[in-house]
Amino acid sequence: MIYLQGIKKSFRNQEVLKGINLTIEKGKVVTILGPSGSGKSTLLRCINFLEKPDEGVVQIGDVRVVAEKANKKDIMALRKQSAMVFQHYNLFAHKTVLENVMEGLIVAKKMKKAEARQRSEQVLERVGLSDKLNYFPSQLSGGQQQRVGIARALALNPEVILFDEPTSALDPELVGEVLAVIKDIAKEGITMLIVTHEMQFAREVSDQVLFMDGGVIVEKGSPMEIFTNPREERTRKFLKRISGGLPVHWIQKTAY
Amino acid sequence: MTIDIPFMWTAFKEIIKALPVTMMLTLIPLFVGFFIGIVVALIRVYKVKGLLAIANGYVSFLRGTPIIMHVMLIYFGFPLLIDAVAAKLGISVQTQLIPISTFVLTALSLSAGAYLSEVIRSGILSIPKGQVEAAYSVGMNTFQTMVRIILPQALAQSIPNFTNIFVGFLHTSSIAFLVSQKELTGAANIVASTNLKFLEAYIAAGIIYWLVTILVEGLSSLVEKRATSYMRGGVR
Ligand SMILES: Nc1ncnc2c1ncn2[C@@H]1O[C@H](COP(=O)(O)OP(=O)(O)OP(=O)(O)O)[C@@H](O)[C@H]1O
Ligand SMILES: [Mg+2]
Repeated sequence: MIYLQGIKKSFRNQEVLKGINLTIEKGKVVTILGPSGSGKSTLLRCINFLEKPDEGVVQIGDVRVVAEKANKKDIMALRKQSAMVFQHYNLFAHKTVLENVMEGLIVAKKMKKAEARQRSEQVLERVGLSDKLNYFPSQLSGGQQQRVGIARALALNPEVILFDEPTSALDPELVGEVLAVIKDIAKEGITMLIVTHEMQFAREVSDQVLFMDGGVIVEKGSPMEIFTNPREERTRKFLKRISGGLPVHWIQKTAY
Repeated sequence: MTIDIPFMWTAFKEIIKALPVTMMLTLIPLFVGFFIGIVVALIRVYKVKGLLAIANGYVSFLRGTPIIMHVMLIYFGFPLLIDAVAAKLGISVQTQLIPISTFVLTALSLSAGAYLSEVIRSGILSIPKGQVEAAYSVGMNTFQTMVRIILPQALAQSIPNFTNIFVGFLHTSSIAFLVSQKELTGAANIVASTNLKFLEAYIAAGIIYWLVTILVEGLSSLVEKRATSYMRGGVR
């Protein structure tokens, strides 16, 4: 479960998040859509305090942190409730695939090495990388690297996994393999919050879709509602633009 | 002008006996300086309140003045300082009994600390911020992230710079001969003083420095290749 209340964040004088309220039930998959600069990444990064919100409450599972009063211990506890998959993978370059996945288990979760290895091998098999355990990130394709990123997050068995545009840095032909893995783990009942520009994917995978613009959540609803019958003009305009000039009814059609 | 080759060989054999002293005057300061360098680099990277100004001043002054100055300042200044402190505490210390090498090693260690801190700091800053965020996102704290993620990569990538500093300090250790340390240069001086064949003696000493430098550079590039193989897709 994620519970956000009144999250505000400014960089210098620019208010990037203007009071975000959001509740995501356990096991739900929620995607965030929105134009560039609307604050999607900032919102995700505020949830695990990679950016410290100026105001507001973040609760994941039963760890609740009030931004103004957050100390190091609170932040560490909150971070252990979540995991993140990054646009640019951010794998540990000096560690092998297996070590990348084991690192969080051993260091942060204090898991025994043998147990961590077993769990990591399991998860890596899940993302189809059993044959790459001893490779370094520099020896992998972008799609493979991102699957390691997903395995690293998944291994921690967190309350929620945060995905920030997991396929945006990939060559088009590699996008599919990564989306397939995400869809597969979505079925498992792990809570996921995904920022993406892949409309088809969002439609298929989401329980709920949020549309963000200008630091607020403009609209939220089921994929059906958002893609076929958005209430807000801003949502409609965005969907039209992202469908590459194709008329909106194209997305509507594919949404059925 | 003739060069006395046989004497050069004699000198070579005599001078090389001082190599251990030169190595000591190089390795001890680098070893001590490495730890000073890590601490100073971390203070500057994390902008530790209260210590930042001191760390900045230390690096700026020591890199802004010749190393020979550091040796001289410590050599002439330290005994005065110790005497003053001893007088205040009402104890008597015979500063003339402190071996000169202590002063030289102290001065060189402080210099090495300043130079190495810059190498280590730029190594740390070269590690992509994304990896740090990833470490935090899996629940690692600042210390774990520094020790397990940042430093191993920062130090591995800095090996060529460490080698440059080593070579620099190997050569710089020759200034210790000014305060009568019998290292390679000092030994060359002494050998030549019997027959005044300074040129031959210095050529012999130069060859020794050169050989050590070549050896260390070769070793370093081997070690660097191994240590950074992860970047080029070398398989373990
Ligand atoms: N560390 C920062 N310092 C200053 N400004 C920032 C910082 N991070 C984000 N911003 C600004 O905040 C705004 C929102 O950025 P954010 O990255 O959250 O947008 P986004 O919705 O993720 O966009 P995109 O789709 O391009 O990734 C942008 O105007 C950006 O310039
Ligand atoms: Mg973004």
